[in-house]
Amino acid sequence: MEPLIQLRNMEKVYEAGGSKFYVLRRVSLEIQPGEFVTFMGPSGAGKSTLLSIIGMLDGSWTGEYYFNGEPVHRLNVKKRNELHKANIGFVFQSYHLIDNLTVFENLEIPLSYKNVPHKERVSLVCDILDRFNIVGKKDLFPNQLSGGQQQLVGVARAVIQSPKLILADEPTGNLHSAQGEEIMELFRKLNEAGTSIIQVTHSERNAAYSHRVIQLKDGWVVSETSNAARVG
Amino acid sequence: MGTIGQDIRYGVRMLVKHRLTTLVCVAALALGIGVNAAMFSVAEAFLLHPVPFENSDRIVALVDSRPSQGIDTNSVSPVTYLEWKAQAHSFDKMGAYVWDTINLTGDREAEKAQAFAISPNFFDLLGVHPLMGRTFLPEEDQVGKDQVIVLSYGLWERRYASDPLILGKKIKVDGKTLEIVGVMRKGFDYPKPAEAWVPLSFNAKQRTIRDSRYLWVLAHLKPQVSVQQATAEMRTIAVQQAEAYPDAYKGWTLRVLTIPNFATDSLTRQFTFLLLGAVGFVLLIACADVANVQFARVTGRHKELAVRTAMGASRSRIIRQLLTESVLLSLAGAVLGLLLAMWWVYLIVSHMPPEVAKFIAGWNTIRLDANAFLFTLAIAISSGIVSGIAPSWLHSETNISETLKESGRGASTGPSRHRLRSVLVIAEIALALILLVGAGLLVKGFRALIVVHENFRPATVLTLNLDLPEMQYKEKPGRTAFYAQVLQRLAALPHVQSAGLATYVPYAGGGGTGVSPFTIEGRAPEERGETPSTIVETISPDYFRLMNIGLRGGRELSDSDGDATPPVAVISQNVAKRYFSGGNPLGKKLKIGKADADSPWLTIVGIVDDVHYTWVDKQEYPTIYRSYRQAPPFYTSLVLRTNGDPLTSVSAVRSAVGEVDPDLPLFDVLPFDRVITNSIVGIAYVAAMMTILGLIALVLASVGIYGVMSYSVGERTHEIGVRMAMGATSNDVQRLILRNGLFLTIVGMAIGLPMALGIAYALSSILFGVRVADPFAFVALPLLLAAVATVACYLPARRAVRMDPLTALRYE
Repeated sequence: MEPLIQLRNMEKVYEAGGSKFYVLRRVSLEIQPGEFVTFMGPSGAGKSTLLSIIGMLDGSWTGEYYFNGEPVHRLNVKKRNELHKANIGFVFQSYHLIDNLTVFENLEIPLSYKNVPHKERVSLVCDILDRFNIVGKKDLFPNQLSGGQQQLVGVARAVIQSPKLILADEPTGNLHSAQGEEIMELFRKLNEAGTSIIQVTHSERNAAYSHRVIQLKDGWVVSETSNAARVG
Repeated sequence: MGTIGQDIRYGVRMLVKHRLTTLVCVAALALGIGVNAAMFSVAEAFLLHPVPFENSDRIVALVDSRPSQGIDTNSVSPVTYLEWKAQAHSFDKMGAYVWDTINLTGDREAEKAQAFAISPNFFDLLGVHPLMGRTFLPEEDQVGKDQVIVLSYGLWERRYASDPLILGKKIKVDGKTLEIVGVMRKGFDYPKPAEAWVPLSFNAKQRTIRDSRYLWVLAHLKPQVSVQQATAEMRTIAVQQAEAYPDAYKGWTLRVLTIPNFATDSLTRQFTFLLLGAVGFVLLIACADVANVQFARVTGRHKELAVRTAMGASRSRIIRQLLTESVLLSLAGAVLGLLLAMWWVYLIVSHMPPEVAKFIAGWNTIRLDANAFLFTLAIAISSGIVSGIAPSWLHSETNISETLKESGRGASTGPSRHRLRSVLVIAEIALALILLVGAGLLVKGFRALIVVHENFRPATVLTLNLDLPEMQYKEKPGRTAFYAQVLQRLAALPHVQSAGLATYVPYAGGGGTGVSPFTIEGRAPEERGETPSTIVETISPDYFRLMNIGLRGGRELSDSDGDATPPVAVISQNVAKRYFSGGNPLGKKLKIGKADADSPWLTIVGIVDDVHYTWVDKQEYPTIYRSYRQAPPFYTSLVLRTNGDPLTSVSAVRSAVGEVDPDLPLFDVLPFDRVITNSIVGIAYVAAMMTILGLIALVLASVGIYGVMSYSVGERTHEIGVRMAMGATSNDVQRLILRNGLFLTIVGMAIGLPMALGIAYALSSILFGVRVADPFAFVALPLLLAAVATVACYLPARRAVRMDPLTALRYE
């Protein structure tokens, strides 16, 4: 089967004051469709940067990147954005909901950027509100929700466009444990339903939900461990 | 469409959320858009449709010009017109008109009306039809068959109470009986301010006149003939005429003007463009203000925009979202701006005296019409795009992944954004300075005009005009006797100190005077066609004293200078300096007209002060004064020095003149100060508008610099905290902020000053009293701008030094 993600000798470097600072060094890895992978490592290891590159938010790197067989490294910005829009959903530690939009409108956002017609948008948002049990919150603004509820909306927003891949950067970092567990259970179910997931976390407990843990340090991939004792 | 609706909905929400900045932006844009909409309405009336008929783009005016004397539009002689008409092939119709004031007498109270003698095809040429009756028949341009008249709607309504049976009635005009054959439709008053039209006819002598220019010629282009083609043909004909009659045409050049260019004189056009430029500057300053606010707003929303990008928003969608907000802001500004524009248009229209307004082409069409609304919509959308594009565009430089990182400090303003905001402030300062200097110079010019006529002490002078009918006052003694009697009666009236007469009262009728060539006895003839010219004033002896025109040599004219004594003249200093610089002109002789003219030699008996006749002239024009007893005119102005308010004497004056000739209408009865005000009302308008625009620019520029400095302080809060923790004093911090703001101000002024100097040169060439090196404009006003900018920088600096260092250190 063709890997969903294939990275070969990926490097990212910052230049400052004439000297180079490597954030990622010769990263090569493969992630299969339907896989749940965790990036772990100390602060500054390059986890979030790698996530951004895989999410196609960052285009300044060298090496090769294939997404579902498409050579991302050869695509122009527009095509890369199209690929990202069609296949990837994001979940952030700070939820990053848009303060001035209601829950309904926040969920509608990714669909409107994919030019989904209005009627279809409404129907998809209503479905996801129902699926995540947040119908009653649809007219509330983010500051009227608890952290857990906000992250629930954040995950719903990532899922609404049925992405092949969800990228989650410390998704439970701002939540207390019960809320965190609820979100991780949600990820597990999504993964079981076929969505690939890559998360960045410091939490061993969250890492236990994934099939594989990739350790990074100073920009290098230092180890890869299959998770035999996976939760669920 | 659905997503645009989403953008609009969100945009409205954002604008409502940030009420204060929205209000500042809407107010700035309302001022900018409002002055543009108002000025567009004025410019549209002056430049686009100054005439009350439709097909003006196919009609041209054929005029003479004399560049060497600064005459850009002049009438032509009858024979010139007749030759053009016979030879030109570019036109299917050619007609002419002559100004002709008429006295309406007989059936009702005597009244003077503004008429035009027109060629019979004139209305047909313009493509207009009468409301009632007919226009003129082709044969009615023959002497004897020309006893017909067409009335304007206004005259028909006012004098004849809209009599539906008016056609065919006979009325007395200048002592002749004319039949009313037509009434024109409402609003048609071309040439402005026509109240009636009579046929233009030429007698045999007039048909040979080549160097007396009094006809205005219009022509209708044949289909498929362009203005350029017609110009080329007419120039060829004009060259042939000049070769055949060099004396008559030397120095004259034919010009073919489109009707809008002809109807609105070049000075009005220049000032209209000046004001259009000025309002454009104000709008640019407002846009720069709004752009700066948008920069701050976009920077504050960097996370939201990064999230949108992560959710799949393309760069163009983000820009569209931000531009939508910006355009919404402009549209809100446009709504308020239109209200302001309506008010400004009302102020502009209502403050123009009606006796001046009736002469201004297009004046009665100044209004906020559909075109003005479309223009406003267009500039609102453009302003929204102009003020929003740079902030939106620069946002896309933000590093999205860095912004979304939890540890990231977000999108701090990059150097390019700093640079652009600084450039905007510099541009605002430069533009504001140009406007301020322009306004200052115009105000100085206007003040100079007021000062120049203070010598007349105009508040106690009454002026009125009369025009003696040629048939009744054909003989000189009759005219002399009439004036002598009238002056005697007027001088005897209570409250009247003295009474006089003159052909042209300075500033009256917009300052227009006729000029005539003159010849100095014993002086070699000037180069062909370059005869010196002068204003010829026919006055009563009291005129100089009455008007405070000082005697500089010789004597004044006196009542003893009559028909039986040698003809004499008094000259202005200007004539003495220009033409007698080598010696004493007293006792020398000159005559009005060329050397071979059939007019008497006049002995110069006195020299008087120069008189400024119109604000347009930068220098006084040479003037020769003659006694009314030696050359009694038909048309004249009476001037009376009164003890107080001159208007209190009006009815007594009318009675006194009526006792001498009850059928003679008096017109333009106005206090002299009103005559002067009317004459300079145009420049007063321009000066007032420029002053208002300059002040708006000053306020907007200071708001701009305040906004940028205030934002900069907010951005540098952490840095200020560190500096204060390291021992920086309040003064150090204040200096840091002030230095930055004043640097931008100085750069802006350094760029603006040379440009303002260019404006000063342009204004000084067209306006009396404007000096390029004007200390008020180039020292006081820049200092004012610097002072306002300093205050705008000081307020944020004061806020910075009042910060608690610990709070500042914690600030992210």
